[in-house]
Amino acid sequence: IANSPKKLPRGFYEKAASNKTQRLVSVCQMYFLDYYCDMFDYVISRRQRTKKVLEYLTQQKTVPSVTNESLTTEWNSYLHKENEILRKRRLKPKNKDFE
Amino acid sequence: MSFLQNFHLSPGQTIRSTRGFKWNTNNGNAASNDNDNYKNFNVGGGTQANELNAPANIMNHNQYSQPTRVLPQTPTKQVNSSPQQITDFNYTPSHQQPYIQAPVGTTVSSHQDLKQIVEMTLGSKGVLNQAVKLPKGENENEWLAVHCVDFYNQINMLYGTITEFCSPQSCPRMIATNEYEYLWSFQKDQPPVSVSAPKYVEVLMKWCQDQFDDETFFPSKTSGTFPNRFIQKVAIPILRRLFRVYAHIYCHHFNEILELNLQTVLNTSFRHFCLFVQEFQLLRPSDFGPLLELVNELRDR
Repeated sequence: IANSPKKLPRGFYEKAASNKTQRLVSVCQMYFLDYYCDMFDYVISRRQRTKKVLEYLTQQKTVPSVTNESLTTEWNSYLHKENEILRKRRLKPKNKDFE
Repeated sequence: MSFLQNFHLSPGQTIRSTRGFKWNTNNGNAASNDNDNYKNFNVGGGTQANELNAPANIMNHNQYSQPTRVLPQTPTKQVNSSPQQITDFNYTPSHQQPYIQAPVGTTVSSHQDLKQIVEMTLGSKGVLNQAVKLPKGENENEWLAVHCVDFYNQINMLYGTITEFCSPQSCPRMIATNEYEYLWSFQKDQPPVSVSAPKYVEVLMKWCQDQFDDETFFPSKTSGTFPNRFIQKVAIPILRRLFRVYAHIYCHHFNEILELNLQTVLNTSFRHFCLFVQEFQLLRPSDFGPLLELVNELRDR
């Protein structure tokens, strides 16, 4: 304890050096790294998908034969698909975990 | 040790006297020379008078010869380098600082330290702010539900790393600073009781898991829908309780987190949590309790 700059509980270093704690720490760090990579990946790719769909829809608006209703239906079905993807992310077990 | 901790070792007094002593011994030769010179000039004075005058003379001489020396900075360095000085990084709100406080600039208070550490460890400023926003056209309930599960997993991971250090002996009550204690109600019609921190976290996580598994709260089928007032009745209670685990970790295990080098992970996770609940106005300031200052700090940056 005397060498430590921090106030730590008795026997901290013995516990911190133990295999169990070391493993938990590295698992934790890997989990967060993986989580944030995956989360940003999802958010960014989802935005790009939405952008493409919206571009497509505005393009279709200029075509006279396409009605507004059909465009709304297409937009809603796209949202429904995205909603399913998002729901799957919440549910365990993830397929990714078994790869 | 705790006595010294609260007392901040009174850096001014101890160290200044030490310095003074060293100073005189270092300049001992020069001082005696001056003394001799003075003796030569002082015609009428006896030996005793000279000895009495000598210390004053040394003091004056040193002050004049080295007027540019900066005194206050040296004590700080000495305090930090001394092996007996023990710093407590556990988070304490500023209104709970010990009554006796070292003047600003000499000793670093835990709150200041924390701010500094948070600043150091948090890169990528706007990224999280953007990531918590509801995607265009998405169902708000779904977005909140995903995040409830995510934060649950994150806290599970974070708390998991310090389970060795958070025992019923070390934390017999689920507290966050001395002002906040969280009680758990095991049965609906019975008053909530005080339990140890690990027990509280255990039952809290179990309770969250039960909520997630409940098909009426968190539908898993694609056809399933969320209940009425899902946010008020399900999401907010979950987030409010998950927050308490952050509070306990920050207030009572931040030293260990620092030592395990997990502060970046904890800060990022907590900041993400704060930005998320702020984006959807989920928690009231009173829910932040002991960490309110830290939360404001994160919000303002």
